[in-house]
Amino acid sequence: MKLRRVLALGAVAAIAAVTLTACGNGSNGASSHKGTLNLTTSAEMPGLDTSKVTDNSSLTALSNTQEGIYRIGKNSKPENALATKTTVSKDGLHWTFDLRKNTKWSNGDKVTAKDFVYSWQRTNDPKTASQYAYLFEGVKNATAIQNKKADVKSLGVKADGDYKLDVTLEKPIPYFKLLLGFPIFFPQDQKVVEKYGSQYGMKADKQVYNGPFKVEDWTGTNTKWKWVKNSSYWDKQAVKTNTINWQVVKESNTALNLFNSGKVDRTQLQGSQVANYKNNKNYVYYQGSTSAYLELNEAKVPAFKNQKIRQALSMSLDRKQLVNNVLQDGSKAATGLIPSKLSKNPQTGADFAKDSQVPDVTDHNLSKAKALLKEGEKEAGISDLNFTLLADDTSTAKQNAEFLQSQFEKLPGVKVSLQNVPFKNRLTKSSNGDFDAVITLWGADYNDPYTYSSLFTADNSQNNGKWANEQYDTDIKNSADKDANDKQARYNDLVDAEKTLTKEVGVIPMYWGTASGSGPMLQKSYVKGVIYNSAGVNFNYKNVEVK
Amino acid sequence: MAKYLLKRLFYLLLTLFLIATITFFMMKLLPGTPLSNESKLSHAQIQMIYHTYGLDKPVWQQYLIYLGGMVQGNFGLSFQFDNQPVSYLLATRMPASFQLGVQAMIVGVLLGIIVGGIAAIRRNTWVDGTMTIISILMISIPSFVLAILLQYYLGLKAGAFPVAGWGNFAYTILPTIALAGSPFATTARFIRTEMVDVMSSDYIELAKAKGLTQTGVVYHHALRNSLIPLITLIGPLTVNLMTGSLVVENIFAVPGIGEQFVKSITTNDYPTIMGITMMYSVLLVIVLLITDIVYGIVDPRIRLQGGQS
Amino acid sequence: MAENVNVPNDAFQPLGQEEHLDNEKIAAPSLTFTQDAWRRLKKNKIALISMWILVAIFAISLAGPVISPHQPNNAQPAYTNLPPKIPGVHIPGLDGTKSVDGGRVDAYEQQHVPANKYWILGTDYLGRDLLSRIIAGTRVSLMVALIATLMDLTIGVGYGLTSGWRGGRTDMIMQRIIEILSSVPNLVYMILLLVVMKGSLLSISLAIAISGWTTMARLIRAEALTLKSQEYILSARTLGESSWKIAWKHLIPNMSSVIIIQTMFTIPSVIFFEAFLSYIGIGIQPPTASLGTLISDGQKNFQFLPFQMWYPAIVLMIILICFNLFADGLRDAFDPRSRE
Repeated sequence: MKLRRVLALGAVAAIAAVTLTACGNGSNGASSHKGTLNLTTSAEMPGLDTSKVTDNSSLTALSNTQEGIYRIGKNSKPENALATKTTVSKDGLHWTFDLRKNTKWSNGDKVTAKDFVYSWQRTNDPKTASQYAYLFEGVKNATAIQNKKADVKSLGVKADGDYKLDVTLEKPIPYFKLLLGFPIFFPQDQKVVEKYGSQYGMKADKQVYNGPFKVEDWTGTNTKWKWVKNSSYWDKQAVKTNTINWQVVKESNTALNLFNSGKVDRTQLQGSQVANYKNNKNYVYYQGSTSAYLELNEAKVPAFKNQKIRQALSMSLDRKQLVNNVLQDGSKAATGLIPSKLSKNPQTGADFAKDSQVPDVTDHNLSKAKALLKEGEKEAGISDLNFTLLADDTSTAKQNAEFLQSQFEKLPGVKVSLQNVPFKNRLTKSSNGDFDAVITLWGADYNDPYTYSSLFTADNSQNNGKWANEQYDTDIKNSADKDANDKQARYNDLVDAEKTLTKEVGVIPMYWGTASGSGPMLQKSYVKGVIYNSAGVNFNYKNVEVK
Repeated sequence: MAKYLLKRLFYLLLTLFLIATITFFMMKLLPGTPLSNESKLSHAQIQMIYHTYGLDKPVWQQYLIYLGGMVQGNFGLSFQFDNQPVSYLLATRMPASFQLGVQAMIVGVLLGIIVGGIAAIRRNTWVDGTMTIISILMISIPSFVLAILLQYYLGLKAGAFPVAGWGNFAYTILPTIALAGSPFATTARFIRTEMVDVMSSDYIELAKAKGLTQTGVVYHHALRNSLIPLITLIGPLTVNLMTGSLVVENIFAVPGIGEQFVKSITTNDYPTIMGITMMYSVLLVIVLLITDIVYGIVDPRIRLQGGQS
Repeated sequence: MAENVNVPNDAFQPLGQEEHLDNEKIAAPSLTFTQDAWRRLKKNKIALISMWILVAIFAISLAGPVISPHQPNNAQPAYTNLPPKIPGVHIPGLDGTKSVDGGRVDAYEQQHVPANKYWILGTDYLGRDLLSRIIAGTRVSLMVALIATLMDLTIGVGYGLTSGWRGGRTDMIMQRIIEILSSVPNLVYMILLLVVMKGSLLSISLAIAISGWTTMARLIRAEALTLKSQEYILSARTLGESSWKIAWKHLIPNMSSVIIIQTMFTIPSVIFFEAFLSYIGIGIQPPTASLGTLISDGQKNFQFLPFQMWYPAIVLMIILICFNLFADGLRDAFDPRSRE
């Protein structure tokens, strides 16, 4: 290339850059108009295979584009979706559902009871390797099938004609109705699954939809897709929005900038953003049901076997400062493992978290903590305490870890070093017992304390710290079988268990907060009718309206 | 020449083979599986998932399968995208990254040549000073800080460009500027240094003595001779751009390879890490080969065979 | 034509034996290469100022543990995210106010900070003093930069010279090795190494150096290839100079501009990589601060607490700018070809 031309090209490029600055204006300022909603999500959709889905983006998509027996409405209330009538036997083990007739998949196929049977069998078949299949625990033979100890056909679900579904349980599941609103329990069109084979659910058009919306423009790996109104949905007149555009934005500042430039209608706020927008007219708060807690590995660090040392660590934490000054995102200081607003006393209506509160243990009291630590160290025969604190490598997790470190080190002789690893590494290390102390975040799968309480029985695989208490195990066991059909007795069992856990500091509760997809947000005030639930799939957009 | 090319091609393949091998075994050293909640799965289910990903075979078999697949452009299945082939992921993410990279390279290098050239000609004047300060500033701002400033001030406050996302050409402007900072500054400084060197050499003195005009000297001799060594810079600049793209794409929500690379690191998606590593390597190897050949052609002083002692 | 010029006898005097030898003497005092460079550097005011700023930054960061107003890792969760405040100064940004929803709010009052407490550069998300953290972070960043650059320089120059000078088979093999190394995106190296070694000051330096020296080696080799067919090298060889001496006396001085420029590109890129690795979460691990971690922590709050990003970023930019300007001065001083 002749040099002159090179220089000329350079000049053109420079001029172009300047001129474009001027004409770039046109593309901005277009705010969303009626019938279209623009939303962001922090992660791509990895796949829409109903049996294999595990992540938030995909679960949200499936629960809004497909439908099962129930749809979870306001205040976590299961509403009839495909079911028109539900009959439950006295012992709570036999469920019969009458299904809505003439509902259709988006390819024109009828949705029948057989689709449920096929879907549930497919999910439990170990060949499918569904990572959420464990939710079927309690459905007849589900666990046996997953362990290859029973045939798939023996699963406790039968179709009685096209529009009647019979389900048999091994033991009563008090939260079964909530589960039925979770995408893993949705039907699947056998013809479609078999037609697409390994491609099933990998692209927008390799899946069929029977819910309020259909997914479009999703190629399996891209960062922009949309939901459009499903014209074959049985309740389509209730759907007021024609299009919901989704865009993946991983940086929260970028999302905020997009919101402020009018490109998106909602953004999740973090940290100092919350402090600045608390009084904004678009500010909304969707309380999550994630519990953040510290697990102490009693199998690896002998000192953690001592209850007083555990209590000392718990009392050294100023949880109020953590949520008000450090996190600043509307999280609440935890008084126990189970977050507030998850469940209510069936008789009095009091909050579970209130009922199960134990005085002192989760209150900040440094002098008492020091005294307890001294006693505990004497009992354990040690003079100082060194341990490594394992946490995720997200910025929030790092802040948490740094905060805990600074608080623990206010106790004499306590030294804490930090280790931040990617999420999956943390899980692996946790379940292999390869840690001293680990910050764990657990989101509720359904609105029932059991989703948390069941984690800390001696034999549960999620009990990473290996804390064990017989009374606790008995209470949990009773709640799941002896008292399963007696709401109040079951509730009391779970309250007692929670009290034991808090008192003995089986885990050190930190805060009740928000996971991705809930918490403090800015949402344009013209967005109406979003249904939010703190557990399971958070958002139900069926009735959303842009006014 | 043909013999030289064949030889280079052979080494190129050897290089890629070695990179693939080292990457594969390093990845095997690291923890992590495609499972996201291992403790909730039955043994049969875990076996099934391992089988899907070919992780149930001995490592040497996995290695051979991996090498065999790679020859056909198959990098296995991604851990984070259920069953999605890594090659498909790369294919869908390549165009955005490639477009940004090429744009940034062109804008950065051309502006760099102009600014560096002017600075050298007007050496030790205020023009030189200003140009030097501009290029030093551009080199001193980390690309992610620059990206954040551009997005906030030009995108949001001034409203001149789209804040983030991917669509028409307007969306590419801010990320391109953020990425072009580094190649621009590098080129400008390099060209200035080279030209100052060249302009104090004998043949320039001769050209001046012959009565050539200032422009003539600069165009025909100084700049042309300074551009030749710039070729050696293309390789490193490509690497710079790749690195920059990791954060810049994230900030501007560009659906590219870079942001996916960061994601695959934080989610332990090893097949994707390997795939992207290999793709970057192939690209780099080719760029380096081309620059070497071109350098050999334009500067006869460099012997392609590597010289003898 | 006869010309009678009357020259008095005492108009000329015969030269003495000793004075005769002065013909060979050079009037200016003899200077070594370094002395000469230093003399020329001193003439360059900008470079000199840059050098002194760098010296000052080094000194402050080294004296950090003594002069810091607070412990850099001492968290005071009651006083988080306080903006800078200097008593008696009423300029927005330095008076303890921050902008919230358009207006300015006295954050110190809001968070009930006792009247006698203030932080000159504000506090971070855990209530740690930002000034102390910047000083400590500067130290860490400079250490990483120096260690990595030194490794990079030693390996790169040694390798490049050997490869270019020896040529032939040696060059071929060495070039193949470099080619393999530089064909892997260096970030992958760093990440893999850091995952194995865990992010610490030394491991980061090592990771950056290991993946960074190839550029230097390539440039040096290219220079060596060009230089070695130059006449003065040929004549040095003909005169029987040893390879070591040629490398030291001729090659390196003639390459000094390339080496210095490359080194000065290395330092900012090392600091950048450190910041970058911290940004994606595998660099310097908390609670230790580096300029990189400070900037990436600060950028999260950039819109509301801009000082948290600006201050460490400004320190970083000052360091980089000074390094660059100083490098320019050094290059002019060292490069024998630019002597006037």
